[in-house]
Amino acid sequence: MEAKLFEQDGVTILQVTGEINISTSPDLRKVFEKNAGKKLVVDLAKVNYIDSSGLATLVEMLKKMKSQGGSLGLAGMSEKVKSLFEITKLDKLFLVYNTQAEAVSRAK
Amino acid sequence: MSLVQKFSADVLSFLGPLKLDGGIVFDVKLCLEEALINAMKYGHKLQKELKVRLGVEYNEREVRISIEDQGEGFDPGKLVCCTESANLLKSRGRGVHLIRQLMDEVYYNKKGNAILMVKRLKREAGNRS
Repeated sequence: MEAKLFEQDGVTILQVTGEINISTSPDLRKVFEKNAGKKLVVDLAKVNYIDSSGLATLVEMLKKMKSQGGSLGLAGMSEKVKSLFEITKLDKLFLVYNTQAEAVSRAK
Repeated sequence: MSLVQKFSADVLSFLGPLKLDGGIVFDVKLCLEEALINAMKYGHKLQKELKVRLGVEYNEREVRISIEDQGEGFDPGKLVCCTESANLLKSRGRGVHLIRQLMDEVYYNKKGNAILMVKRLKREAGNRS
């Protein structure tokens, strides 16, 4: 997994590539924790796999973001990754956008 | 836990002759890894000396994966439903839920330390795969 962080229009964008699994989730959590309280968009367009520990990490970070006055939007999920959010009903919990641009526009 | 990814890669390689489509590979990989993690993390409480037994068989109609740990077992019927509103923010319970949703058949033994997962490979009436 690789995570690239950059800013656009006052919104922090975290672009993740690869697998979010039980081995890579701790690294992702560290990146999140450094950016808690910000307006954050996580671009998942290049994520080809996510397991329950990855989903749990995103839920934990959503809670932390909200408690520290930030926001967390998810963008660009593949149909398969999106289906996991639907199966677990996490699509009701997160702000989910089709594209990074849409997520940034709504987060501003 | 990188062992989980290694076993998963080995199993997917073993299933290579089936030329599975990407969606089925995703489901098999996810359910296999979730079940292995449950066995090692919750069944064995991460005790490295304990062994997990993994069995995989396939034919042109289905893939069958069995995983057994040496732990005390659990009652899958007592797991909280992770999709209920009150539980959405909780960290645990999604792995078993994903397995139940993505596999076509899921069985536990009476002790609750062994799981059999069946993934069908062809669409049939009333089949989710």
